[in-house]
Amino acid sequence: MGFFFTFMVELSVVLSLIALLIFFVFYFLYHRKSEIEDAADAAGYESPKQYMRDTLGERPRVLSISAFLNDDAKSIGIRYIVASLFFFFIAGTFGLTMRLSLTVPTPSLLSAQEYNVLLTEHATLMIYMWAVGSAIGFAYYLLPSHLKLKHDSRGVYASSGFWFWFMGGLMILYSRTAARWYLYPPLALQLSASGGGIDNWLAVIGLEAVFFGLMITSINVILIIWKDRDPAIKWSQMSMFAWSILFTAIMIVASAPPLMVGLSMLFYDFFNPIFFTGATHEVLLFAILFWFWGHPIVYVAVIPYFGLIYEIIPKFTNKPIYSYGSGIFGLGLLLILSEFVWGHHLLNSGLGLAWVLFYTTASFAVVVPSAITVFNYVASLWSAEKIRLTTPMLFAINGIMDFVIGGVTGVMQSNQGINQLVHGTYFVTGHFHFIFMGITTGISFAAFYMLFPTLSGGRTYNVRLARLHFYFTAFGSLLMAMAWTVGGLIGMPRAVAGYLPVFQPYQDASILGGLIIGIGQLIFLYNIATSWLKEPSLSLENALEYKGDEAYNAGGVPVPNPIAAEELENNAGGA
Amino acid sequence: MNDKLRKEVIFISVVVVILIASAVLNVFLISNISNSVSQNNGAIPVGAEVIHVVGHQWAWTFIYPNGTSSVNALTVPVNRNIALVVNSSDVIHDLYIPEMDVQVYAVPGMNNTVVFDPTHTGSFYFECVEYCGEYHYRMTGTLQVVSA
Repeated sequence: MGFFFTFMVELSVVLSLIALLIFFVFYFLYHRKSEIEDAADAAGYESPKQYMRDTLGERPRVLSISAFLNDDAKSIGIRYIVASLFFFFIAGTFGLTMRLSLTVPTPSLLSAQEYNVLLTEHATLMIYMWAVGSAIGFAYYLLPSHLKLKHDSRGVYASSGFWFWFMGGLMILYSRTAARWYLYPPLALQLSASGGGIDNWLAVIGLEAVFFGLMITSINVILIIWKDRDPAIKWSQMSMFAWSILFTAIMIVASAPPLMVGLSMLFYDFFNPIFFTGATHEVLLFAILFWFWGHPIVYVAVIPYFGLIYEIIPKFTNKPIYSYGSGIFGLGLLLILSEFVWGHHLLNSGLGLAWVLFYTTASFAVVVPSAITVFNYVASLWSAEKIRLTTPMLFAINGIMDFVIGGVTGVMQSNQGINQLVHGTYFVTGHFHFIFMGITTGISFAAFYMLFPTLSGGRTYNVRLARLHFYFTAFGSLLMAMAWTVGGLIGMPRAVAGYLPVFQPYQDASILGGLIIGIGQLIFLYNIATSWLKEPSLSLENALEYKGDEAYNAGGVPVPNPIAAEELENNAGGA
Repeated sequence: MNDKLRKEVIFISVVVVILIASAVLNVFLISNISNSVSQNNGAIPVGAEVIHVVGHQWAWTFIYPNGTSSVNALTVPVNRNIALVVNSSDVIHDLYIPEMDVQVYAVPGMNNTVVFDPTHTGSFYFECVEYCGEYHYRMTGTLQVVSA
């Protein structure tokens, strides 16, 4: 009886899974076919294929379940945006929990083990799933309309890139790794709760999957920009955002393979330790392989948002940006120079004076393209007659200011004397949280707000709540990151579950900042949820993709798709 | 050269000049403090007190020239060159003494050397700032600088 019962249960589960799969495949194919046929019919086309070739990507796309069933660029973009927001809120909750655990010098809310897991997950998920994921999302979503795509023929290929990336993220989440995002062996090879985490091997596979997805995506994005765009759009007429995505994709393709090799060597070491530990090892070799990717990744996480700022500013100043040419030059130089500075993560590891001299000097040079970019923003704002401070514009201006603070604290560390004093302290944490909160997170929200009328099918968000979200996020991150920066200068170590009582004030200030950020994100969720329940009242065209009468894109290219001025006002997020 | 480009060139030239000045300053600084930059099997000045440091999960062990050792407590004489030879017995650690501007990775298989010269007596804290597992945050201790 017992065996028979178990057998029947298993059989029925397997059969229902097969039925579900068949239904899904049928629905998937049928839904896609019928949707394309309907759209072709409505546009007066006889052949759906002809319709796909001619108009794909130019029409606004609403967030719906079909984004997970279709494989065109915009659908994949929506998938990335939704998935990256999902991981943002998971990793953000981890970050806030870590803050709350640090209210007293000894671990309180979390044990040291739990703290280390959250520390690792927060970093890994935020950078790969949020920063990079939402950049790719906006790339897939905006490029079809920015470049008037004429072909979209690698849908399944691009879709597989998304699923590798997403499954990799889930594996990292499930592995409960505690080896930090850079997985230094021998710690990463200690498969115990007090070392790198019992299932750390799963995190290595997950990361490899994420990289596999990122490589597929980057190659696809390069092909979209290079081959699929409307031939009428010359290189010199592409939007700044397309340029920034092109540079980002090149950077991923150029820098990720060494770490992919390194990760597979690390995985081999779990079974037979020969590369990074054991008799013939070289421990720092993995660190070198990691940072060859680990530094470019932080530029991968900001360059697309630099491009978005170039797109946002002209929409609210009604003027082209100050200089299109030096904008591209700045981002391109950033791409090249940032590949030469990764060694500054290992200045104190004993690699010697020549290493220190080369990488500190190179780190000074990388400031030049950053300065070109910031000057371009400031000059664009300076030469505008009127700046409309809408929510996206507030995020953009705050992002520029945060980047200046984060950049100056960054270049300070290129001085070896200062580096020895602040490396490994909260000073570094403060430095990159300025940039990641101001540029990566802030500009993502700005772009999301601008796309909201399209994504939600013509609904408008509550402008006052959006402003509150902005002020909470901006002031919270300023307080949090500034407390870390100042605390780091007097030697407050980062990545610790507990701390010396002397650092209490700085920790308290950053906890307050973290709480303010958390409340801000709850306001955002509430605003989105209530706005989604309202009746649609706007047209589907948003200002980021479809330009109004007087709005320019970054290249100052004229207006192909005019919409009424007051509608742009609404669709761009309030007065 | 049009007006826009001229303004940009002026702005960037100012930045480049500042950066070159900072970079040259950094090079001179490094050549002056070259002893304090962590280096594998680095040079040890004549007459320096050589202290061997071993990082392990999760404490620091200091071995003095006379063969005695201490855990998470380092005592050094004032106004004398102190050479730390830092090693690790398990994973990567990072010894950090903020007051002395000393930062040196403890890497298994490497003998990273730094030299510092305490100029005043007192009690200062040191920490591990390279994440090394569960009780990473407990790898702190006290540096006592005493008059010789």
